[in-house]
Parts: sequence; C-alpha cells; structure tokens
Amino acid sequence: MTERTLPNPPASRKKSPLSKVPSYVFLTAGALIMIVPFLWMLSTSLKDQAQLFAWPPNWLPNPIAWGNYSEVFTKINFGLYGFNTLKITAAVTLGRLLFCSMAGYAFARMKFPGKDFLFVLTLATMMISSQITLIPNFIIMRSLGLVNTHLGVILPQLADGFSIFLMRQFFLTFPYELEDAAKLDGCNPFMFFMKILIPNSKPILATLAVMTFQGVWNDFLWPLVMLTSPAKRTLAVALSYLVGQYTTRWEIQMAGSVLTVLPVIILYFLLQKYFVQSIKMTGLKG
Amino acid sequence: MAQSQSIQQLKIFFAKVKKPVDKYFWAYAFIFPSMLIIIAFKLIPLIVGLGISFTDWNLLSSPEFIGLQNYARLFIDPTAPIVFKNTFYYSLLSVPLNLVISLLLAVALNQKIKGLSFFRTAYYIPVVTASVAVSAIWVWLLSDFGMINQFLNAIGLNSVNFLQDTRYALTSITLVDVWKNLGFNVVIFLAALQDVPEDLRDAANVDGANARGVFRHVTLPLISPSIFFTAVMGVIGSLQAFDLVFNMSMKHEGGPARATSTIGFYIWQNAFKYSRMGYAAALSFALMGLLLVLTIIQWRMRRKWVYGEE
Repeated sequence: MTERTLPNPPASRKKSPLSKVPSYVFLTAGALIMIVPFLWMLSTSLKDQAQLFAWPPNWLPNPIAWGNYSEVFTKINFGLYGFNTLKITAAVTLGRLLFCSMAGYAFARMKFPGKDFLFVLTLATMMISSQITLIPNFIIMRSLGLVNTHLGVILPQLADGFSIFLMRQFFLTFPYELEDAAKLDGCNPFMFFMKILIPNSKPILATLAVMTFQGVWNDFLWPLVMLTSPAKRTLAVALSYLVGQYTTRWEIQMAGSVLTVLPVIILYFLLQKYFVQSIKMTGLKG
Repeated sequence: MAQSQSIQQLKIFFAKVKKPVDKYFWAYAFIFPSMLIIIAFKLIPLIVGLGISFTDWNLLSSPEFIGLQNYARLFIDPTAPIVFKNTFYYSLLSVPLNLVISLLLAVALNQKIKGLSFFRTAYYIPVVTASVAVSAIWVWLLSDFGMINQFLNAIGLNSVNFLQDTRYALTSITLVDVWKNLGFNVVIFLAALQDVPEDLRDAANVDGANARGVFRHVTLPLISPSIFFTAVMGVIGSLQAFDLVFNMSMKHEGGPARATSTIGFYIWQNAFKYSRMGYAAALSFALMGLLLVLTIIQWRMRRKWVYGEE
C-alpha cells in the first residue's frame, strides 16, 4: 500500500504521445525475433549451395534456385506426403466435428441415465496425455492390424474430451424455443440436430475445425510410430526424415519446411478470427 | 402351460424395457461414437498400459510377467535420474520465462497499439507451425556456420556449438520451445487484459496509485486465473516435451551424451528404439504420476495465487 502515500500529480495521468515508444520498440523487437527465422527459411529455400553461407546474409537469393522445390517433389515425394497429411487431417477434422457435436448436444440438452457419470468421465480423459496412451494404443493398433495404416492414425483422434466439452458449452446457450418448435413440427432429434442446430453453429464449428486441423496437420509422435513404411508418411514425419538424411543440404531442408508450414499459415491468414477464438476457447478449460 | 406363462412374463418384461430404450434411443445414439472412441483409445489404454508395465516384452516374443521389476528398474537405471533432471530443467526454465515475456508483450499490446493484428499474427505464427519445421529452422540458424554463429563471429566473438555442447544444448532447445509457444500465452493474456474494466483502473488512478501500483493491485489479481491456467498448461506440456528434443538432437539420440534426453524422449526411445515395451510403459506411468501430483499441488496453490478463490 506504499503507492497510496505517493499521489501522482494529475498531469502525469494524461499520457504524452511519446509514452508508447518503449512499448513499440519492445513489440517490434519481439515481432522481428518471431518473423526473421521464417524469412530466413524462405530465403534459404530459394538459394543454391554456393549462396548459403554468405556474410552479411543475403536475403534475396540471386539466382533464385527453384530447383530445390522440384527436388523435394521429385526425389523426396512431398506431393504424396502432402496428400497423406491432407487425407488424415480432413478425416479427423470432419469426424471430430460430427462426433463431438453429437455428443455435446446429448450432454447439453438430453436427459438419460448415466449422463453425469459419462460426462465427468469424458472431462477426466482430458487429463490423460498422449504420452500415456502412446504405447498401449500402439499395441492395440497392432492387435487390430492397423499399424502402418492411415485409419490407425485417424481412429483414436476422432473424439476427445475437450471438443465435446466445447460443443456442450455452446449448445447449452441455444434457445429452447427453437427446439420445441421443431418438435411440434415433427422433427426427431437427429433432424433437429442436422437441419437446425448445425447450420446455426457455424462459428463454433469453424473454431473447432481450425483447432483440429492445425493440431493434426502438425502432429508428430503418433504418426511417427504408426507409419512405418515411407509411402505412408505425413509431411511432419517425412520432413523429420528429410532433415536426418540431407544433413548438409540446408536449402532442401528449408524447402521441405516451407511446404510443411505453408498450408497452415495460409489457413491462418484466411481464418485468423477463428484461430484467435480457438485459443480463447482453450482458456475455457481454466 | 408353464412355458407359455414364462413367455408371457418375458413379453411383459420386454415391454417394460423397450419403453426407456425408445425414450433414450437418441441420447445414446448421439453419444455412442464419441464414447466408443474415448473408451477404446483413452480408458482401455490405461489398463493395457498398466498391464504392459508389469511385463518384459520386446514385441517379438510373447510378454513375460515380471511384477514390479520395471518400476524397480527406474531406481537403478543410471539414465533415469538424468532424464528426470533434464525434464525439470526444461520445465523450470521454459514455463516462467514464457509467462514473463508473454505477459510483458500482452501488457504492451493492451494500450491501443497501432498494428495490433500484425503483432498478434507475428507472435502467433510459430504456435501454428509444425514443431518439426521449427526444429529444422533453428537447427539451421544455430548450426556451426549458421546465421547466429556468423553474427557472433562478425562482432568478434567465438562460435558457440549450441546444439552439440553439453553445456548449451538443453538450454538452446528449451529457448526454442519458449519461442514457439510464446504466442499462445500472449493471446490468452491479451484477452484477459481486455476484460479488465477500464473504470477499475481509473478508480485506482484517482486514488493515487501509479501505473505499477495499478498493475500490481488491480490488473494482476484480475488476470490471475489466466496466469494460473497458462502455468498449469505450460507445466503439463513441458513435462512431456518430445518433438523438439527428438528433432533437434543429432541423429535423434537425445544427446550430446544424454544432455537433451527428456522423459518423453526416453519413453519413445525405450519403446521404439530398444524394444523395451514394459519399461517404457512403466516410465509413462511414472510421468503420469508426476503430472498428477504437480497438478494437484498447483490446484492447492491456486487458492493462494488466484484472486477470489479463497
């Protein structure tokens, strides 16, 4: 409470236009530290070996070595890995949106025996981390014959406690009048869900979609242990192998990195609002 | 005669059962797919994992029950204390550093700054970037002739072997972790700061509090739930560190000389490099126990730290 003994002169409360300068300097320095590595990745990916170690650093490659990218596509088959990644990511995202919104709807608005128990159980699974389930799930997939299949990578990710919780919280706020009206019109719960609830939940579904898409696209450990043959790999796994194989070919490593990160970054710029929303939603857990 | 009577009873029984099934059909149909996935791949694995942790199993032969030997091994394996120590170091360095820097950035952003969305994007891009790519970028930047060492040479300093020197390797990887995950906390803190009512701060100002006093006694208590949340998430995440260690240590060996091996990394190595499924499962349960204990301690402390929780 010592601050109280030192009352500020009223004039100091009005901020001068210069008072924000230190903040701008700090924020800009931070932003540069974040962005420069990405620009260096992009720049390196377009250089030939002779340009890699120039000092002072040469940001604009001359000549531009487009060949790095064609090498990544032809020799290292990144087109196939991109397709694999897209397939797994799309399947998990669509499946999770459907299953978790269905479960969220039941938990939010239906009465059934065992509801509270199952909901608490669902929340409790949020505490079970992927490191704990890694080995047993690998063994389970092995006994199901699903190791080295995309289905095996997809299956365990199709539903999770947090997504169900998120959808439930949203559906709790949905007006009951609409549901009653739909019932009077002869809608069964499934028709109500598909025709009224889902079309009116686009923002929350988009938020869950970008969250899931980004997580699955970048996921590493699970596909790493599951996908044992090269042709099945995802971009993240393939990039890890590429880095291990082409140890001194920095330009090839960076071209592979650009191809891995670009889809998500483009998605971020297109759907920024939902990305920001998704982080705030994650804060709901607290 | 007796038979038809029992059939009659059965019919009545089914008529009784059928009604609630009809009534609850949709509810169970709606939760069925999710519950199936969660039970099959979250809950059953707990039991399967516990079972595996009591066995000696290399996947090729059939598992052999060895009781608690894998857990006993935790105490005699010379590598175990190293990976636990590395993991604690990773956590103790990354969590506070991340909190302090991201809080400062969020406070700076929360004063009607021009270019807010540019800054937020800049801080957030590493969060949405694949950890494998982040590793590749930083291994290149930190390499012997990478940009950072070239810069050090240019200003007259010696090169630092960031990732191959046992003194620096773990710290370097931990700092890259902070760099990657900073933006997540920035967005959370910024959202919390924007919810602090302007008039509360004004009132404190009128009462004569200076900027630091307002922050310490008004803003900080009001955003303490967010700080608590990010701290818990940070601890949970950092104790499971794997991706960066795997991809930034040479040949995925967690080196040099075990310097960067974390618990998460050692679990993977035991299971999928050394084919010691039982020991790896035991390690993962040790990690889960650690996570549980720390989370409980943190929730206990929540009452003391978080405003309005007494």
